[in-house]
Amino acid sequence: MRERDSDRPMDIHYLLESVISGVLLGGIYALLSVGFGLTWGTMQVLNISHAVFAVLGAYLAYWSFVKGGIDPLLSIPAVAFLLFIIGGAAYRLVIRPVTKARDVLMGSMVATFGLTIVVENIMSGFWHPDPRLLKPSYTGTSLFIGEIVISKGPLIGFALAFVAIALLYLFLHRTFTGKAVQATWQNPMGAVLVGINRDRVSLITFALSIASAGVAGVGMGLIYSFYPSVQNDWTLYVFLLTIVGGVGSIIGTALTGLLIGLIIGVSAAFLPFIWVNILLFLLLLIILLFKPEGIFGV
Amino acid sequence: MLEGVGVVRKFGGLTAVKEFDFHVEEGQIVGLIGPNGSGKSTLFNVITGFYPADSGRITFAGEDITGFKTHEIALRGIGRTFQLVRPLLGMTVLENIATAVLYGRDHVRNMNHARMRAIELLKFLRLDPKSNLPASSLVAAERKRLEIARALAIRPRLILLDETFSGLSEAEVQDAIKLIFRIRDELGITVFLIEHVMKAVMGTCEKIIVIHYGVKLAEGKPEEVSRNPKVIEAYLGKKHASR
Amino acid sequence: MENENQGKPKSSKAAFLILLSAILLLVAFPFFRPPLFFLSLLISIFLFISLTESWNLLGGYTGYISLGHVVFFSIGAYTTAVCMNCFGHSPFLTAILGGAVAGGVAAIVGFPVLRLKGAYFSISSLLLAVIAQLIFLNWEFVGGSVGLWYKLMPVGIEANRVIFYEVMLGLALIITFAVRYVEKSKFGAGLITIREDEEVAKTIGINTAMLKLKAFILGSFFAGVVGGVYGYYLSFIHPDITFNVNTSLLILLMAFFGGCTTWMGPLLGAVVLSLANQLIVTFIGAEISRVLYGLILILVIIFMPNGMIEYLKAGKRVRKVQQGWKHA
Repeated sequence: MRERDSDRPMDIHYLLESVISGVLLGGIYALLSVGFGLTWGTMQVLNISHAVFAVLGAYLAYWSFVKGGIDPLLSIPAVAFLLFIIGGAAYRLVIRPVTKARDVLMGSMVATFGLTIVVENIMSGFWHPDPRLLKPSYTGTSLFIGEIVISKGPLIGFALAFVAIALLYLFLHRTFTGKAVQATWQNPMGAVLVGINRDRVSLITFALSIASAGVAGVGMGLIYSFYPSVQNDWTLYVFLLTIVGGVGSIIGTALTGLLIGLIIGVSAAFLPFIWVNILLFLLLLIILLFKPEGIFGV
Repeated sequence: MLEGVGVVRKFGGLTAVKEFDFHVEEGQIVGLIGPNGSGKSTLFNVITGFYPADSGRITFAGEDITGFKTHEIALRGIGRTFQLVRPLLGMTVLENIATAVLYGRDHVRNMNHARMRAIELLKFLRLDPKSNLPASSLVAAERKRLEIARALAIRPRLILLDETFSGLSEAEVQDAIKLIFRIRDELGITVFLIEHVMKAVMGTCEKIIVIHYGVKLAEGKPEEVSRNPKVIEAYLGKKHASR
Repeated sequence: MENENQGKPKSSKAAFLILLSAILLLVAFPFFRPPLFFLSLLISIFLFISLTESWNLLGGYTGYISLGHVVFFSIGAYTTAVCMNCFGHSPFLTAILGGAVAGGVAAIVGFPVLRLKGAYFSISSLLLAVIAQLIFLNWEFVGGSVGLWYKLMPVGIEANRVIFYEVMLGLALIITFAVRYVEKSKFGAGLITIREDEEVAKTIGINTAMLKLKAFILGSFFAGVVGGVYGYYLSFIHPDITFNVNTSLLILLMAFFGGCTTWMGPLLGAVVLSLANQLIVTFIGAEISRVLYGLILILVIIFMPNGMIEYLKAGKRVRKVQQGWKHA
């Protein structure tokens, strides 16, 4: 987003650009968050490490681009696949044992915190904490609609997010496995009684959520510069979106992403950037206090 | 002692309790019966403040307790048990009861005093040999007694018993009937109970209220109610009612 | 509630004597002229004991896991810093005020937020922490993004460290004993009941909203007092330091590791994890140490899912049963 030159009178184009830009970013944040809500809903696991795997995805795309010349968008299937495997392994090694503890919420927070430390510091150790950015040639240019300028990076990121979320939604609602995931979510006991293998469902859910994080990371990497500890900031947005959007709903999270994008876009046009964040978090906190299930939650 | 007038409770489109009037005199043992899903537990939940009544009024010992919070209602003197018992599993049997003594109507401060009173209560329910065991080690019937002990520990004036007799053996049912009378006669506590086990209802209640789809179907002495054609129809269908 | 102490006078007397000697040793420690590094390490351990124990009042006993404990720590620090810079009062005196301010904020904030349950509560507390951090970053009066300095004490480095050592030790002891007292009191019984089954708690006359709020305020007060003193020790505070989310997570970790159902858990967790971290950093090196630390965390959760105290207790029970079989 362009920083506002406060001497210029507010013009409608600037406002529109800000809003559009915000909404596009909101879409990417939404993709980042849907996976998180998925694991929370089905397993009551608060996966603090969700965002750090997004960063990992960004790094994988970065290295294949810089070293191998592979376009980030083309590397997405590979990133998704790799992170699916990693997610599965993480489930078996770290998450599954935790789901047997007396307090799954606290246990999962601690365990995934440990996981976050491990992954973040491995990345730091190998790849150094300098900020990186995915810069294929097309993200540098902008789209011109009349007098409105939209940079291509966020546009591509949004398109990516749209496709990925749509795929996820279709998976959950049209495939057998996806419906099994939903069943476990809505009624764990009932799902087991109809023969759904809860462990298998959890494995797939978790792996899928990590994979989606990785893809989201690639999208984020096209727009924002990233480094291992940026996962702290991303995690915050993930929490926010999931809670306010409602843990039960992908559409809810997606729409909340757009809403947040809208809020960011509008307020960025009028307020200094620092206050945008404060306003955003305050607003969301208030929503939470009045409707804890989230705007779209069940 | 406990009176409800025009109590209504809705859940979205479903009206679980509809314009319900009920009356429990002090010292009585009153039963609330009805087919599954007829709104019995919902009524208990409204009385104890778990759900607010959508309309209507509930008075207890002359005081309007409509809209009161659950703990306020407990401190006014209404104790309750749950249909699916909820023992505090991480604590010992003694601690389960002692905590209720501490926070109940006696407002006890001293921990030892609370423990002593708890032991007395456990003796009343024949659970005292197990006082230092974790509550999780109790079997089903014992857990029911624990649940009752905990409700009694707050020294209530009225106790709401939710399906205490379900799953009990013949002998246990007889014991429980005796217990209910002991609660009323020795402790002076009015009893309002929800039940499906007809033997228990007939054996204890002096008055029965029948609820069906949230509406009061009948009310009166056990013999009257059991012969009421509407009641029979509700339970067994039209064919039997006409007999 | 304690039933185990009845009928065992000899071993509890021994335990008491051991405890007393340990405390006296700790108090006397600085006067044996150890390297300053050890004093610093112990000060940091005392800090975490204080923070984790005070956190446990709400987090462990009621099960409401707050990720915003650092906010109250920071409020205490900023209060004493401002008092020192504006009025010249020593933080050792104004720390209590810092705690009071923190407690006041907790009262206001806790009232709506404690109505939320489980993860919703946790994430809201995190949100509050972030909002607070952002506010302080932009608040010129308290230094904003530049930070705030304390005036240094007019004593040498050694004396400075010894003074802070004793004060932090004192705070850690007071807070730990206070938490222990609460655990064994009526207040504690009520809190634990809330964790066991909040609805049942209400049916036995417990005003759960009030009790949760009290625990939250008390814990925040303690955190504020500690922050008031520790800020002075750091002599420079900045929102990125004092409001750090990782500290909140560390507190959670230590409480969980030790076992959050009892006052001994946070104490054990703070000590063991701090020492472990220090050992790893010293002998293995900073970068790998972090990875190792994370791995240890994961392993601990897997093998001791209910914390260390429970793990040890379970081991004791198993051994007792095994002994029983031997004698049968």
